[in-house]
Amino acid sequence: MNEPDEALKDLLRRAAPGPADRELKRDLWPEMRRRLERPPVQIPWEDWALAATLLLCLLLFPETIPAVLYLL
Amino acid sequence: MIGIVEADLERFTRGDIQAFEALFREYQGEVYGWIIRIVHDSGAAEDLTIETFWRIYRARARFDACRSFGAWARRIATNLALEHLSRHRPEKPLDSVFPIGVPGSGMPDAAIAADVRAKVLAAFDALPAKLRVTVRLAMIEERPYAEIADALGISTNGVKSRVFRAIRLLRKNLEKRGVRP
Repeated sequence: MNEPDEALKDLLRRAAPGPADRELKRDLWPEMRRRLERPPVQIPWEDWALAATLLLCLLLFPETIPAVLYLL
Repeated sequence: MIGIVEADLERFTRGDIQAFEALFREYQGEVYGWIIRIVHDSGAAEDLTIETFWRIYRARARFDACRSFGAWARRIATNLALEHLSRHRPEKPLDSVFPIGVPGSGMPDAAIAADVRAKVLAAFDALPAKLRVTVRLAMIEERPYAEIADALGISTNGVKSRVFRAIRLLRKNLEKRGVRP
């Protein structure tokens, strides 16, 4: 870094220094544990069937794509 | 790092929850400390720390126990912090994020005129998230380029190039606002 860049760096450091407190104040493990124990999101089979039907319709009748996009 | 040995890392890659807990407890502070440097928000840093370890746990099978766990965690944390910065432009007034203080206290230097400070912060905030993170780590935090490169998943020359581009943009923006550093 040359001298003018050092001046810019100094200005940046004076205007926006890093946070003074970087210590973690509490143990995050209990929250992590809850996250691990949360059951994975399950998508019901009806939703898959609906998505497949819509995809099939779009493949068979591509002229409906603008209408579907308009409705979205 | 104390307490963590290669055998623990191997147990973690096989999905051993106790080994993961040991790793979490050992590295949570380090990961949080790295993230808060980038996002400047303790609440967001805590959430992102949890998210980092969640992704680490899900990707455990891909981790090579011979490599540094800390460096791997830092890279995942950096990507998440970058995503966070790209999604959330600061909504709080800049003065509440960087309140005026005394030099050396982690607070902005009170000797800088408020308007100059506001212009510098606005120019810094106008940078794309990737450049903002690189500038923060390289110019403000003064982290080694090799460490930044590792965390961002780019080469050291890539870091130099980003710093160069950021300096050029910052100068241009500051000159437009009448500030010549």
